[in-house]
Amino acid sequence: MDLLANLALGLDAALTPTNLFYCFAGVFLGTFVGVIPGIGPLAAISMLFPITFYLDPTAALIMLAGIYYGTTYGGSTASILLNIPGATSSAVTCLDGYPMAQQGRAGVALFMTTIASFVGGSIGIVVLSLFSPIIAEYALSFGPAEYFALMALGLVAASTITNASPAKGLSMVILGMLIATVGTDSQSGTARFTFGSMSVLDGFGISAMAMGLFGIGEILSSVGAKRSNKIDRESTRFRKMVPTRDDIRRSWIPGLRGSAIGSFFGALPGTGPSIASFMAYAVEKRASDTPERFGTGAIEGVVAPETANNAADQTAFIPTLTLGIPGSATMALMLGALMVHGIQPGPTLIVEQPSLFWGLVMSFWIGNLILLVLNLPLIGLWVRMLLVPYHYLYPAIVVFVCIGAYSVRANPADVIMVLGFGVLGYALRLGNLPAAPLLLGFVLGPLIETQFRRSMVLARGDFTAILERPMAGSVLALTAVLLIWTLVSAILRRRRRLAEATDA
Amino acid sequence: MKTIICAALGATLSMTAAWAQEDFPSKPVTIIVPYGTGGSTDTTARAIAIELEKIWEQPIVIQNQPGAGSMIGTTAMTQADPDGHTLLINTAAISTAPAIQGDLQYDPEEDVTPISLLVTSPYVLVGGANVQSTDFSGFLQEAQERPMFLGTAGPGSSSHFMSELLISAADLPADVIHFSGGGEAQTNLMGGHSDTYISTTASVMPYVNDGRVKALAVLAPERFALLPDIQSSGEAGISGVEIDGWVALFGPGGMDPALAEQINADFAKAMATDSMQEMLERNYAVAGDLSPSEFRTIYLRDMQTWQDLAEARGIGQ
Repeated sequence: MDLLANLALGLDAALTPTNLFYCFAGVFLGTFVGVIPGIGPLAAISMLFPITFYLDPTAALIMLAGIYYGTTYGGSTASILLNIPGATSSAVTCLDGYPMAQQGRAGVALFMTTIASFVGGSIGIVVLSLFSPIIAEYALSFGPAEYFALMALGLVAASTITNASPAKGLSMVILGMLIATVGTDSQSGTARFTFGSMSVLDGFGISAMAMGLFGIGEILSSVGAKRSNKIDRESTRFRKMVPTRDDIRRSWIPGLRGSAIGSFFGALPGTGPSIASFMAYAVEKRASDTPERFGTGAIEGVVAPETANNAADQTAFIPTLTLGIPGSATMALMLGALMVHGIQPGPTLIVEQPSLFWGLVMSFWIGNLILLVLNLPLIGLWVRMLLVPYHYLYPAIVVFVCIGAYSVRANPADVIMVLGFGVLGYALRLGNLPAAPLLLGFVLGPLIETQFRRSMVLARGDFTAILERPMAGSVLALTAVLLIWTLVSAILRRRRRLAEATDA
Repeated sequence: MKTIICAALGATLSMTAAWAQEDFPSKPVTIIVPYGTGGSTDTTARAIAIELEKIWEQPIVIQNQPGAGSMIGTTAMTQADPDGHTLLINTAAISTAPAIQGDLQYDPEEDVTPISLLVTSPYVLVGGANVQSTDFSGFLQEAQERPMFLGTAGPGSSSHFMSELLISAADLPADVIHFSGGGEAQTNLMGGHSDTYISTTASVMPYVNDGRVKALAVLAPERFALLPDIQSSGEAGISGVEIDGWVALFGPGGMDPALAEQINADFAKAMATDSMQEMLERNYAVAGDLSPSEFRTIYLRDMQTWQDLAEARGIGQ
């Protein structure tokens, strides 16, 4: 009963014309920013942050949050159509989304991602409104050892996300981890591989890396290639966008699993939508009866990461609002918007500011609905973007990517890094090496290293102490089982193939 | 000695150059914030800027240049003209960074003109779920019996230096553990993974008021007027940790002392407005009332303290 009263109070707050307007403005801008490769939510929210000084805190937060989850809706568009992620959390969507587009199924892919985003977002909101305090409490019990174990599991589980040979995939993961070692050492403060430059003291930026590797890499490699635009106008018709019964049958379980994975990683401070989307993809590929379809346009490979990153977007508000602890730079901005008005997020926020909390939660529903209504008709428009000749489209993207890279830290060096990573991305394509595992290593590597070293400090150097912690120990055991199973099944497959070869 | 000369020089120059400053500011003023948008330094700067625009009748541009522990923005400021149209608002990080960063690209004494101490408060030591004691005397005893983990917001942060200072002043058998930022340091306290954290009132008091962490001490000789219930380190017989946290205003090196005085006075006016006083009250902090030369003394003293501490305890080596 209480919950219903709260939801009514929230609806009351969210449905005032002012708040409705800011919600619409936020999600509209978010979709727009998401579609443009390069400019991410952090840049967009930073630019709009100053106006929160002049707005009512609920309205301000509704708008900033709208930009945030709106970006994730739009982020997959460029991934699917151009093989260039619109946002870092949509990088995985390229793997199957782009092949779908090449098969003339871009409309279906976009339609399914929009539905998947809505489902993921909705489930995230349910988790946020029902379990916030419990989850926040539970997340606190995660110490460095638990984070280390979880990230190690993630790395092992996801290292085979591409169809390239395990050796290639693994070497890319390691290369990513090595690139991530550049910057300040997390425990001693020593500068590593910076060569005296202050610009890389904080390491390479994740968005500069993702945009360079995927975006610039894709553009560079298509410059020489002769690509006649073979998108037939037929595929932009609405009829062509409706998913088949088979698509839907394949999608709903991955969607639910993706939402669960997304809700989990979103609620943990320090992880987030990007890790969630990688994990959801990896889990689907492992759970699938036909893992070989992944990477060639499997609908599950689009649905799973897109439900996961949207669910994570919503549950990321749990630590921010209930503990007052931001899990990411973007969440820190949301927190800042509240603090400007003297509101301290924390366990008492729900009690002291019920109309703000529930108004925000209900605005997420409304925002997600607006996004659904906004995005479905837009699909046709986006697909038509493919008809724009690349010699107009690509220079524009390069400009946006550079602006986006610069806007994150106002650091010109980031633009040069985009170029560097673009060249690297191109070189990888020439060598037929997958870029996704590299990004994975780059995201998880520093977390694994930092959390491991912290847990070693806390154990005063005793390696076995990690295993003695129940949660960390079990997760590490699971990791070991998974690793052994992967190796054994690879060997068995090889034997079987050899046996078949000799039989014949 | 140096400060006396500077002050004397300043006094002489201010008489001769006072007339030249009447037209300041003659164009929009840029305030560099060497942290990201939405952080505590950024929101403080933006709130002051709103008040200051009314006083100066010129637009104020807040430029966020985060990175390298505030050194990217700080370096950018030192390269600007010292005409008062480019200023910097930074925290005590500007005094700790020279002690830990070997690749500093400016001279922290010559290339920086300290102008105003805007916001100041003592550092507060807070304890997490595993700490039994409720005051500083009890904590000192507990920390001797059970070697503790002092969490920081990262190597080279002021929470790191203050933790090292506390370890050496109280001779604790403790270890320092670095987290990525104050948020993570405090979640690890609440979860009982680390034991303490030291930061300014503004960043710890919300959690103290929530009851999620407990305030063990203000690191000052006497109790802090705004937090009279918290024991001071001086009361428990510990000295050598009396350094205050601050947010302050700086200009490029070689700024005309009269101009610095004038900017100092204008910022004092902005800090005295109702909206700023309200913000200070919320953060359990007070506005600084030092002249540029008095603040310079504090800036140089703190920097020397951190330099000595870094050498003594092998920080950043």
